[in-house]
Amino acid sequence: MSQTQNTTAVQPVPAGSTRPEPEPAADRRSRPSPLGRLSPKRISAVYLWLFFIALFAVIAPDTFLTQTTFTLVFRSGVITCVLALAFLVPLTAGAYDLSIGSVMALALGLIVYLSIHTHLPAPVDALIALAACGLTGFLSGFIVVRLHVNSFIATLGVGQVLAGAVLVLSNNTELIGNLPDYWSNLGTDNLLGVPIVDYVLLVLAAAMWYVLELTPIGRALLATGGNPDAARLAGVRTERVTWGVFIASGLISGLAGVIFSMQSGLFSASIGPGYLFPAVAAVFLGASQLSQRPNVWGTLIAYFALAFGIQGLTLSASSASVWSQPVFQGVSLIIAVAVASRPVLRKLRSPRTEAAAAPHEVSADA
Amino acid sequence: MPDDEPMLTIRGLSKTFVGTKALDSVDFDLRSGEIHALVGQNGCGKSTLIKVLAGYHAADPGAEIKWQDRALDLHDAAASRAAGFRFVHQDLGLIETLDAVENLILGRAVATAHGRRIRWDAERRDVERRMRMLGYDFDVRRPVGELGAAERTGIAIARALWDWQEAKVLVVDEPTASLPREEVRILFDALRRVRDAGLGVVYVSHRLDEIFAIADRVTVLRDGGRIGTWQVADIDQDRLVSLMIGAEQLRPAHDRPFAGDEDVVLETRGLCGTKVDGIDFTVRRGEVLGIAGLTGSGREEILPLLFGAVSRHGEVFVDGQRVPADPRGAVRAGLALVPADRRGDGAVLAFTLHENYALTDLGRFATWYGRVKRTDERGEFERWIAELDIKPPRPDAVFGTLSGGNQQKVVLAKWMRRQPKVLLLDEPSQGVDVAAKATIHALARDIAGTGAAVLIASSDDAELCDTCDRVLILRNGRIAAELRGDRLTAEEVGVLQLETPAQESTLPR
Repeated sequence: MSQTQNTTAVQPVPAGSTRPEPEPAADRRSRPSPLGRLSPKRISAVYLWLFFIALFAVIAPDTFLTQTTFTLVFRSGVITCVLALAFLVPLTAGAYDLSIGSVMALALGLIVYLSIHTHLPAPVDALIALAACGLTGFLSGFIVVRLHVNSFIATLGVGQVLAGAVLVLSNNTELIGNLPDYWSNLGTDNLLGVPIVDYVLLVLAAAMWYVLELTPIGRALLATGGNPDAARLAGVRTERVTWGVFIASGLISGLAGVIFSMQSGLFSASIGPGYLFPAVAAVFLGASQLSQRPNVWGTLIAYFALAFGIQGLTLSASSASVWSQPVFQGVSLIIAVAVASRPVLRKLRSPRTEAAAAPHEVSADA
Repeated sequence: MPDDEPMLTIRGLSKTFVGTKALDSVDFDLRSGEIHALVGQNGCGKSTLIKVLAGYHAADPGAEIKWQDRALDLHDAAASRAAGFRFVHQDLGLIETLDAVENLILGRAVATAHGRRIRWDAERRDVERRMRMLGYDFDVRRPVGELGAAERTGIAIARALWDWQEAKVLVVDEPTASLPREEVRILFDALRRVRDAGLGVVYVSHRLDEIFAIADRVTVLRDGGRIGTWQVADIDQDRLVSLMIGAEQLRPAHDRPFAGDEDVVLETRGLCGTKVDGIDFTVRRGEVLGIAGLTGSGREEILPLLFGAVSRHGEVFVDGQRVPADPRGAVRAGLALVPADRRGDGAVLAFTLHENYALTDLGRFATWYGRVKRTDERGEFERWIAELDIKPPRPDAVFGTLSGGNQQKVVLAKWMRRQPKVLLLDEPSQGVDVAAKATIHALARDIAGTGAAVLIASSDDAELCDTCDRVLILRNGRIAAELRGDRLTAEEVGVLQLETPAQESTLPR
């Protein structure tokens, strides 16, 4: 066994002497050309959106191509969009929060309950509700980080407990809130022709985009989602990250509840869980847009593309209104993820990396 | 014993990918009953050659691949299988939660009893018999995840050679990359049995000493071309290295003797983990300390313990300050860990190179309003690309697509930027080619030269002797011996690791 593996030369290894094996181009975010930015691969949902508008403009020109349609979709979609963003935050860090719908219901229930039983001003009700939602997020974080329960299961459980809590709150009846007019006007009025609540959504989305894509915090979240062990060993406080994303998710879900209370002062315990699927669908659909991972703008684009399709179906075939929404959302989620997951998988499936090719957005443990 | 008549002959094999010639008119032949090593640096074409044999890549027209006098058709995986080629890949592809019997049943027709019930007893006896034929003796009903790396490799060999009579050639691709040294012997025994059964074995490895321990002949590839084939007895390791790297020069590792009178940087008191059982030592500024030991001796645990990656008892001091037992605290105290499991612990595979690089100090390029200046981040990393010769030289390349050596360089760069006081290198050259290995060793010396302390835990004795000033040898979780100066030889390190210093070295011929 000889031990001299090093010959006696001095200069460093010159470049260009080992040739990398030809591999498929693997740049996730190499800068695309201006045309590439508009390629259907990057923004297929935008094309889908335009397609729906064109299609239903032809089928139902009188009802679909009206300002009412657009205002309606953009106004009523805000709640689901905000919830989708609430789901997106923990997902970025590799955790699932399935309690978003129930947390929203908690916020709504609290606001309505407080408006009936106290004389606090509506904004104070909203702040109390937000604090409660932040607390449930803290609780989920505790269960995941300290008790080491898989996030999927932890939040499923928390969501169920919250469903019980709002039943207590409403005594299983429908509550009619006693909210002031200015509060409900915020939910229904337009500013410059755009619903006020859409500005809230835009501000939230812009802030989230900034934090997730451009700041060290976002990078820490992505790293925790991509490989928690490596992130921890690099000095990222992964437990704090996980805890934080659940608190953020709780607060954002609470915001969805606040907006809900502006749009409708009614509360019944059945509200909430039904919002989970469309929100999750928008996030996963949106993950195929713009970049190959869940992202803020992709989520919004995906949601509104679907919403216009559903609205068009509802208007053009009156009998379709009841069933079209879930069927449409279910089918499009499956198709979109099936199409989108292909290039992601192929990208990572060079022979050496095959073992570790699990796409990072699907890792469920935290 | 080897016949002189080659059974498999390959003449003029080329493979062109878009723009690049991965293989350029390569000749190769293999005799029945020989172990033929295939060596070369990353990118030399050996994996392409293997993929052609496996039917994964089609060779360019004009190549001649014959078994005895019959031309072979290798247009797809089934054809390759029918031609008698069997493969054990580096990633063994076993299901960890299933036991050996269950793993070996997958994907083949199984004789069943009534009601399509699997005859588990008969299958188990069959598997036990086959494992014994390969020289293994372990409980085949234990989940594969609980078995040692050598045993898992054995199961993969048994699976590849299930239809023993049909198989003619066994190709093993870097089987020892994740194998502890002392388990290599078990694998070699199995491969010799395969050879003695009359099969030809193609053996691919970066560990050159293994080639001298097991191979009969060796073929060197470089830049897609065949450099030549030699009887292993007619060649030595230095010559083999220079054939593999050609005109390139390796960076010298050990060019600066350590004086030994500098300040103490790292000190441990009563360090304990699950294997490590009370270890005290100090490392001085500018020193490169090696840690040797068999698997289970504590060698594989000691660096994660120092870094706080796993929970520990005892105390660690850097520059006299107590280091908290968590990675973040360790990083802040000036420690840096390049982990043994590069892909699992070292990096985020889906991140780009510069994103992985930035992870150790996320705040560095942040402006006061929180935004990360990506251009600056890329710019700083590009200097490391040049310094360490990282390929491809693109900060935007995805980490998971790089070769082992280049991945390791990125992991090193991400720690170097923090200018650590203590650099911990755990198996730094595992799965890394010769040139990258030399770069890494030279870098370790350079860092020590700038006043840091470097610790290298490795199962590669030669690596320790080449790079370290001093080597601690662990046995049963304690320091059993310390070598330095003239006594620091691979033979000595190898012997001292064993419980009873025996006549047998770790890699017997």
